[in-house]
Amino acid sequence: MSTTSLHVHPYEKRWIIFSIVLLIVFTTAVAIAAFALGIQVPSPEQRVDPRTVAVDPNSPWSNPGLREIAPGRYEAYILAQTWQFQPREIRVPVGSRVTFYVTSKDVQHTFKIQDTNINMQIVPGQVSKLTVTFKKPGTYPFICSEYCGIGHAGMFGQIIVTP
Amino acid sequence: MKNQEEFQPKGTVAILVVFVITLIVLWGTIYLTLLQRGGTV
Repeated sequence: MSTTSLHVHPYEKRWIIFSIVLLIVFTTAVAIAAFALGIQVPSPEQRVDPRTVAVDPNSPWSNPGLREIAPGRYEAYILAQTWQFQPREIRVPVGSRVTFYVTSKDVQHTFKIQDTNINMQIVPGQVSKLTVTFKKPGTYPFICSEYCGIGHAGMFGQIIVTP
Repeated sequence: MKNQEEFQPKGTVAILVVFVITLIVLWGTIYLTLLQRGGTV
């Protein structure tokens, strides 16, 4: 009975080791970002009826805007529709922690705030939620980055963080 | 056959090293930007 061994070229062996190291490095980096630093992707927060979400008096998106829930803590209810966000402008003091609840009443949009990790797909019938703390004063534009029709380029707004 | 076994592909390895270093720099820059922008929960 003879035994055979797999011949692996030294270059192949080094490349396999390098690939395994890369996998370990990437997995560690993603785990640190997600679990130690709290950088999460948005998950569906709740379901809503896109036909009534903007008119139902019990829906926070019938009166979209900013609510202060505690000192320095806010909830922002944003309604996306062709081709605007409501509200288009939000003002908060520096250091504010803002949780965004965004939904769409018509087609698919996105909600991306420049210079933050907020970038959410906005799907009709679904509420997307993420939180950010604005540590520096300034103007943070937000845009729809999902082509949603002829007026897509005008679908933007801004968050003004005051000192 | 022996000459083929001893062949050292230095050019290919050099290109590969440059490619990998470029990827590391690009990926590292984006990752640091991600960390600097902070958490979302």
